[in-house]
Amino acid sequence: MTPLTYDVVVIGGGMAGFTSALYLTGQGYKVAIISKGDPVCCLSTGCIDVLSSDKNPLDGIPGLSRDHPYHLVGKKGITDALNFFKRIMQDTPIPYSGTPRKNRTILTPIGTAKTTCLVPMTMAGSETESDTYIHVISFKGLKDFFPSYITSGRRNIRFSLYDAGTSSTIGIATLFEDKSFRREFISWIQNLELPHGKVAFPAVLGIRNPLKILTEISDQIGREIFEIPTLPPSIPGLRLFRTLKSSFIKSGGDNYWGKVIASVESQGDQIEAVTLKSPGRPSRVPGKAFILSTGSFVSGGLYATRNTVKETVFDLPVFVPGTRKDWFKEDFFQAGHAIETAGIKVDSSFRPVNTRFGNLFVSGSILSHAEIMKNHCGHGLAIATGFRAAKICEEFLS
Amino acid sequence: MIKTDVIIIGGGATGCGIARDLTLRGAHHCLLEKGDFASGATGACHGLLHSGGRYVVNDPGAARECIRENAILRKIAQKCVEPTGGMFVRLPGDSKMFRDRFLKSCDEVGISTEVLSPTRALDLVPGLNPAIEEAITVPDCSIDPFRLCMLNAYTSRHGGGEILTHHEVVAIVKEKGVCVGVLARERLTSQIKEIRGRIIVNATGAWGDKIAQLSGSHVPMSLSKGSLIISNHRLTNMVINRLRPPSDGDIIVPNEAVCLAGTTSLPAGDPDTIEVDPVEVDIIASQAEQMIPAFGSTRLIRTYTGVRPLLKSDAADGRAISRGFRIINHHNGMFSILGGKLSTYRLMAEKMVDVISDEFGLKVACKTADIPLEGQDELSGYPLSKRLKTMEDIICECELISRGDVEHAINSIGTQYIGDIQHRTRLGMGPCQGGFCTYRALGIMQDLGRVSPDESLKILQQFLQRRFKGIRPALWGDQLKEEQLVESIYLGILNMEPQE
Ligand SMILES: Cc1cc2nc3c(=O)[nH]c(=O)nc-3n(C[C@H](O)[C@H](O)[C@H](O)COP(=O)(O)OP(=O)(O)OC[C@H]3O[C@@H](n4cnc5c(N)ncnc54)[C@H](O)[C@@H]3O)c2cc1C
Ligand SMILES: Cc1cc2nc3c(=O)[nH]c(=O)nc-3n(C[C@H](O)[C@H](O)[C@H](O)COP(=O)(O)OP(=O)(O)OC[C@H]3O[C@@H](n4cnc5c(N)ncnc54)[C@H](O)[C@@H]3O)c2cc1C
Repeated sequence: MTPLTYDVVVIGGGMAGFTSALYLTGQGYKVAIISKGDPVCCLSTGCIDVLSSDKNPLDGIPGLSRDHPYHLVGKKGITDALNFFKRIMQDTPIPYSGTPRKNRTILTPIGTAKTTCLVPMTMAGSETESDTYIHVISFKGLKDFFPSYITSGRRNIRFSLYDAGTSSTIGIATLFEDKSFRREFISWIQNLELPHGKVAFPAVLGIRNPLKILTEISDQIGREIFEIPTLPPSIPGLRLFRTLKSSFIKSGGDNYWGKVIASVESQGDQIEAVTLKSPGRPSRVPGKAFILSTGSFVSGGLYATRNTVKETVFDLPVFVPGTRKDWFKEDFFQAGHAIETAGIKVDSSFRPVNTRFGNLFVSGSILSHAEIMKNHCGHGLAIATGFRAAKICEEFLS
Repeated sequence: MIKTDVIIIGGGATGCGIARDLTLRGAHHCLLEKGDFASGATGACHGLLHSGGRYVVNDPGAARECIRENAILRKIAQKCVEPTGGMFVRLPGDSKMFRDRFLKSCDEVGISTEVLSPTRALDLVPGLNPAIEEAITVPDCSIDPFRLCMLNAYTSRHGGGEILTHHEVVAIVKEKGVCVGVLARERLTSQIKEIRGRIIVNATGAWGDKIAQLSGSHVPMSLSKGSLIISNHRLTNMVINRLRPPSDGDIIVPNEAVCLAGTTSLPAGDPDTIEVDPVEVDIIASQAEQMIPAFGSTRLIRTYTGVRPLLKSDAADGRAISRGFRIINHHNGMFSILGGKLSTYRLMAEKMVDVISDEFGLKVACKTADIPLEGQDELSGYPLSKRLKTMEDIICECELISRGDVEHAINSIGTQYIGDIQHRTRLGMGPCQGGFCTYRALGIMQDLGRVSPDESLKILQQFLQRRFKGIRPALWGDQLKEEQLVESIYLGILNMEPQE
């Protein structure tokens, strides 16, 4: 890769980082993404949660805590960001269904209904409430999906098991890419003589072209089909991540994957470059502006010590909710543990507060007061704040 | 109705030990335990088979019992005891006078010791704090309390005894002021069973007074809780003690792939509702860190706490058999055996069964000190080589437990309890603490028709609550990260709702 100065260096390749990066390459900027590893998105259902409290997710915004980052983006900003995401996915093998103004529910692997907003087209037919009969087809020995759990949460459902000869989601998804496997599988289903209703699968219908595979099976068995997300490793999450990454590369972006930042070069209030740890000579990535989207604890953007929380790249000041004793409630099922508010507090231009850096912007789940589990706003928050941070960055550059 | 001679309440080491001793002396009995084996102090203890070193200065009597039992258990319970050896380390500032008294008392009691220079101590345990002044070796061992109970119960089960786990005694049946039986409730079905016997033995540890009260009697106890933390690595291969008068956080015991550090001592209320306080975790971790510095940075995968049933010294109607434990005759057909230690469980059982034999006029001598525990050769263990063979079907990645292992455990004990599987396979004992594999194990139980889907969701929820209780006090670093992941799975992907 050429030693030029990037317009924008995005640190952290998750939903937030990719949203920023794709917007900026789309506007003609030279962008690099540096990422230590694969994002949390790979573990997710691939569905875009925005806010689960109301029928229209945007109606839930006034009820959020005063410091929630959604307030900095606003209803219109969130809508624009989600539409931008939908537009990008439209031309990929995994288009999305839904609108930012309406929540919907999808069937989970234990038969409960999960509220979300935009869903991959392969889950668009998910049924949670109606009395439609559902036949689940799963795979023998699959260890992260037990169809019997679903029958406890939802009546009028039965299942059959296919022996694919392998027990991992990735293994089965890979088999579905193979035409002769599909042919055999489809004729097996045809022999089941399923009653009327819908057919559901754990989300393993291929990795690269799920919608095509789903349509092919659906056409041949004459039933509407949908996928049910599984526990991680999650194929729909993996599809989403791979699609974003390849879109970014196609749009001319550079990526430094599997790289950890060793040091930061700054002059006055400007960051000039970050240096990457590498086996040989450390490589230097210079930029005019930087976006930090390294995620929360799971990805390692934040790290908790025994009594406080650290930000891992720039050592930015972190909002920490009290001492460790206060971080967790006693009940596992009581969402809204105080630790969820930990993170980087930003001003209205998404610059971290109380720092000297003028060309650093922060987005995604590393932001303070997001309370992602409590509000169910994971990907939605990442997309909305990633989009807004990119726009602000654009203004800054011009 | 079940009819028997002796009813034993409590399936900790004491109760199980009594069941085996009774079997070997030919007395019929029925043991009732409200959870699985070792669900009280036995399973919540440090797992140290004491050499006696810890007590030698203040309580040489107890130390003498420990060293004798230590030698016996090494012989009869080889599959439960890991002869790690132990050392007492003296850090800068620790009293030299205490060290001299320690050596002298060990000598008097008969605990073999060797004084090591820091260099030699560090050769044996490279993770030790290099600043130690010296170390003194003792014959401490690591002991697996769950296996110990299971093997003692094995003898009883195969010798005609009745062992009912997951049965809680809810009432004592009395006739003319004398205890003649108990009512026990099965946990899942709530079905009540009546068991009649000639003598009732209350071996319920911290619950001792609750049971005594059911019979209209009372045992004066003061409860003290002790907490422990578990590291995700085996940071030492020997037991490490601090050479000073017993205090918080001064013992580290290696156990399988992990280390246990503890403990604390705080007044406790109801043994069913005790919890670890985050402050205790900080105290233990910072003390352990002084002996093994890596304890400061290692990942702590869980905390737990147990209750020591300490007898009030002015116990009325008590017959002191030893300094460590006590057998109380309630003069209503019930005896309570309380106090003591895991290390001396066999001796406690012997003394209790001596009393029972007297009552029955039985003249058979105790054999438990000489005959190795039955069933040890059936314990295959889970050697890594065997576990790796079935890698394809691994459902617990932390401990490498396969689907086959779980199916085997389910089928061999016919259980409906997830805890039973965890105890018997080590499923869920690693860093994720069952966050992933419990869902899978319950799925397998559904496949085998052991639990219904509705039941399994309820069990999963209860499991997650219990699990959270154990890890919450030590959530930081990598363990916090893991916790956020697990929370996202159950509350996010699965949208699991709180139980009513
Ligand atoms: C198991 C699970 C399931 C979920 N399911 C859903 C769901 O179904 N729907 C939904 O909307 N939300 C879901 N969420 C939440 C959602 O996935 C996240 O909130 C969102 O994806 C976060 O995106 P992000 O871009 O802020 O951060 P991340 O996805 O965490 O990305 C951060 C990136 O930064 C990199 N990084 C970290 N530190 C450094 C460093 N020092 N240097 C360089 N790079 C670094 C990481 O490797 C990672 O690639 C789920 C979360 C989890 C854990
Ligand atoms: C933190 C801590 C660390 C310790 N470390 C060590 C150590 O390293 N080495 C050592 O030798 N000793 C140690 N001890 C002491 C040792 O654990 C105990 O002395 C010993 O385990 C007591 O065994 P027990 O069978 O008498 O009691 P418990 O193990 O408490 O057994 C009582 C049983 O009765 C059951 N029960 C209660 N009520 C009912 C009912 N109504 N119906 C049916 N069953 C009922 C309970 O579920 C329980 O299983 C430690 C103790 C604590 C608290």
